[in-house]
Amino acid sequence: MLKAENTLGIIFFPAFDWSISPTHPEREERLLYTQDQLREEGIFDIEGIGEYKPGVAETEDIERVHFCFPETSSVVTRSHLVSAGGAIRAAELVMTGERRKSFALVRPPGHHAMKVVHGSRGFCTINIEAVMIEWIREHYGPKRVAIIDTDCHHGDGTQDVYWHDPDTLFISMHQDGRTLYPGTGFPQDLGGPAAMGRTLNIPLPPNTSDEGFLMALERIVMPILEDFKPDLIINSAGQDNHFTDPITNMNFSAQGYAALNEILQPDIAVLEGGYAIQGALPYVNLGICLAMAGVDYSQVREPDYSPEQWKQDARTTAYIEQLCEALPELYFTPPPFDGSEKSKQGIISGDWFIRHKDIYYDTDGISEAQIEMVYQCPHCRGLMKYETRSTNNPLCLGIEVPQGACRACKDLGYKMVEEAQIKGQYRYIQFINRRDKDYLRFGF
Amino acid sequence: MLLGIDVGGTHTDAVALDLSGPRVEVAASCKVPTKHDDLLSSVTEALRIILRDIDQSLIKQLNLSTTLSTNAIVEGRTEDVGLLVSAGPGIDPYNFQPCRDFHVLDGSIDHRGNEIKALPMRQAEKAIASCRKNGVRVFAAVGKFSTRNPRHENLIRRMVCQCTDEGACEGADFVTMGHEQGGALNFPRRVATSYFNCAVWRLYNGFATAVRRSLDDMGMSHVTVNMLKADGGTMPLEASRKIPVQSIFSGPAASVMGIIALCDIVHDSVILDIGGTTTDIAVFADGAPLVERDGISIGSHPTLVQALKVKSIGIGGDSAISVIGEEIRVGPHRLGPSVCQGGQRPTLTDALNCTGACALGNMEASKKAIADFAEKHSLSPEKLAETAVEYAARAIHKATRELVDEINSKPVYTIHELLEGKRVVPRKVYLMGGPAEAMKADLFKQFRLSTDVPSNYSVANAIGAALTRTTWELELFADTERHVLFIPSLSHRENIPTSYTEKDARKDAVNNLTIHLDKLGVFLKPEDAQITSSSSFNMVKGYDMVGRNIRVKCQVRPGVVRKIAS
Repeated sequence: MLKAENTLGIIFFPAFDWSISPTHPEREERLLYTQDQLREEGIFDIEGIGEYKPGVAETEDIERVHFCFPETSSVVTRSHLVSAGGAIRAAELVMTGERRKSFALVRPPGHHAMKVVHGSRGFCTINIEAVMIEWIREHYGPKRVAIIDTDCHHGDGTQDVYWHDPDTLFISMHQDGRTLYPGTGFPQDLGGPAAMGRTLNIPLPPNTSDEGFLMALERIVMPILEDFKPDLIINSAGQDNHFTDPITNMNFSAQGYAALNEILQPDIAVLEGGYAIQGALPYVNLGICLAMAGVDYSQVREPDYSPEQWKQDARTTAYIEQLCEALPELYFTPPPFDGSEKSKQGIISGDWFIRHKDIYYDTDGISEAQIEMVYQCPHCRGLMKYETRSTNNPLCLGIEVPQGACRACKDLGYKMVEEAQIKGQYRYIQFINRRDKDYLRFGF
Repeated sequence: MLLGIDVGGTHTDAVALDLSGPRVEVAASCKVPTKHDDLLSSVTEALRIILRDIDQSLIKQLNLSTTLSTNAIVEGRTEDVGLLVSAGPGIDPYNFQPCRDFHVLDGSIDHRGNEIKALPMRQAEKAIASCRKNGVRVFAAVGKFSTRNPRHENLIRRMVCQCTDEGACEGADFVTMGHEQGGALNFPRRVATSYFNCAVWRLYNGFATAVRRSLDDMGMSHVTVNMLKADGGTMPLEASRKIPVQSIFSGPAASVMGIIALCDIVHDSVILDIGGTTTDIAVFADGAPLVERDGISIGSHPTLVQALKVKSIGIGGDSAISVIGEEIRVGPHRLGPSVCQGGQRPTLTDALNCTGACALGNMEASKKAIADFAEKHSLSPEKLAETAVEYAARAIHKATRELVDEINSKPVYTIHELLEGKRVVPRKVYLMGGPAEAMKADLFKQFRLSTDVPSNYSVANAIGAALTRTTWELELFADTERHVLFIPSLSHRENIPTSYTEKDARKDAVNNLTIHLDKLGVFLKPEDAQITSSSSFNMVKGYDMVGRNIRVKCQVRPGVVRKIAS
């Protein structure tokens, strides 16, 4: 009988009753064939691999991470809570030691969901990775976490959530934003003033194949991980780099995905995108499960796959080689933060970092204008303040006292919330105090 | 009049039940020792004893549960099988190789049932020739996703057997096809199930023929014979000849069905069948027995064979008492019969004889053996007997707690539905088997739950066998883009229109189940067939819906034909 080298828990939530629309790529059918393939392969009979039911995330789990306006219950469906609950269950299995590794095969996905949520963008409403990671930190204390986002689209939501967090390393490998939604994720994005280099983007050219992905992983990601020494490695496991994916232009294969996981050795993987529901997902997910469990995956391949056909050309290889030369430097010796008026990364004004963001929620057709402010505290990560209005909501306020915040920042947080209430210019106010686990909402 | 025979590890139990009156009456019952090298003689002996008091022309049906296939596998008395698989990409099929004559062919079918790669004929011919050279006469053909499209399995069968019907031919005596073992997806389990089905086929069919012949010789040609399955249902003898693997581990099912027949179980409950060697523990949720989610394992091979969830522990009436250090233990080994029955080592039954809980066989011998054993370990005989009984009760209680915890922590199916979020909290304990009455008080002390011992408890398993009804289950798979409907276990395939819906599929599943059972001579009321799961998914190409993917599962719920008033 087969035995897993690493015990693996698989959380399966196909959300067979949730879809954006009947013919949308992110629909009920999406995980159907994956489920069929995993069952037919008898993967749950392999010693050491177990299937688990997802939990249901609480509103508090969401509000620990996101500012949801007008309120959490109006932007989040039950499926989102189960999907986030599935990710939390995956974390719980690993944190309690019940399983060495875990894979949350859940939908709807989450990596385009930003810190502030007015609705759904890029099929995502709630950032299930962030909800999971902050659940871990809430219950198991501060942790250094590395998120490696291998979805074909830039993980702009996760990048936004962790922009100012020096304890979270976020690396996104994706198809170049000049050629694909959401059109972001370039090497100059390195994080906020206190976390420069903790965000790293690896934009890969269209038609990158296994060779290019694995080269970028081995030459950029792995040395950085070795230096960062995370307590946990999370794979934001989007599978739309596949050569058959209908909405992207990359040439990654199931063998490539499995090899990626074998090299990366994530503790937890969370499913993101991947819309080639028949030709790719069943094989890619199988390959990833086997690779994570340390079981031989050499015979997993797509029915129509021939490596020769999907080989990348020499120009692509040369371009990726250049990236491999240049990008690690941005982590190891990031340039100093330029907070002057002409900077596109935000300005430093007095004690505050300030940047303006215009965000479009493509799935829901909402436009948002946001001012993000971070207090430049010499003692901690600093109080954060979000002023936001959208086509859905009038002016709203979010204040966050981060985990490990100093006493002064905490007091300032409460003072600002109180002032905001008295002055009454905000329709909704949400206050996140991670220091004392105090989560408040006003204006309902 | 219905007959039930349960061929157990120690005894073969038989009953005749009279269903003519308002109450079900036990017209005759007996227990004979099981002869392991000649199970048929145990069956015929039990039959002859029963028939002494009964007009055999009134007998309509005999339901039989036997350890024949189980024993053959455990003892390695199985036949060589030629196993040909068409696996395609995925986990290397050599990981599941159960036998020597195992051949992987290069064909491939995907999850929708599309043929990705045709079966290579030359390769298949070579594999079959190699099996023939080794003297193989029974073959199994198993394909990955064959429950969606059995094309490769059918091709292999036709290459092995040169005839068109399903009978034996010069090429082979029997061929098992994977898709007929059930519609569930699980290729390794399908491989193992098909292998075991072939491996016990000849032995099982020999036994089936002999049973039929014995009945004919006794002038009972008119009697319908059914075999028990592990899921708590029966299958007609003739149908069972093609699926002998389904008769494996049917013993515990007979006990559970017996309890259902004897008691009105409505709550979450624990069933304890205390035998000579083991105690079988089963759990009921809301009055229905729980089944294994995927199927039981035979040896180290998980299979598709559906079974009631039963846990066995090595504590029974004949379990030996031992003293290790300060601790007095019972079991898990059986070292011959109890002293009161002529054995050497004092057992749980001997201890029960001493505490006064029962009075079985030679009471004096029990007392003396316990006294001698106690003296050897500087204990008082009373203390030894009491502690031994308490140990047995505590061990049974602990194992039951573990089983309930396991059920509550993992998704398990009840016999008809998924227990979503429900916790099983037993409120009642039912006891059966030889030492049931004697153990009642001590088990109550452990469980602190209402504890019942039904009358006829010692032959409850045979009563269960007699009253168990025929069950069948099937899965229907429809793909409106490909315009095809397929029921794997019946090898039934037909064309459907684009407009075919989930509702049509549910109706077709019930119809096909009814028709199939009708062919087997079993009359089914429409309400007996239940849809256990049903789903329909839109399939999209580009941004257009191109069809629906429909899956329906339907079954006759296992149960008893009549309850017996206890």
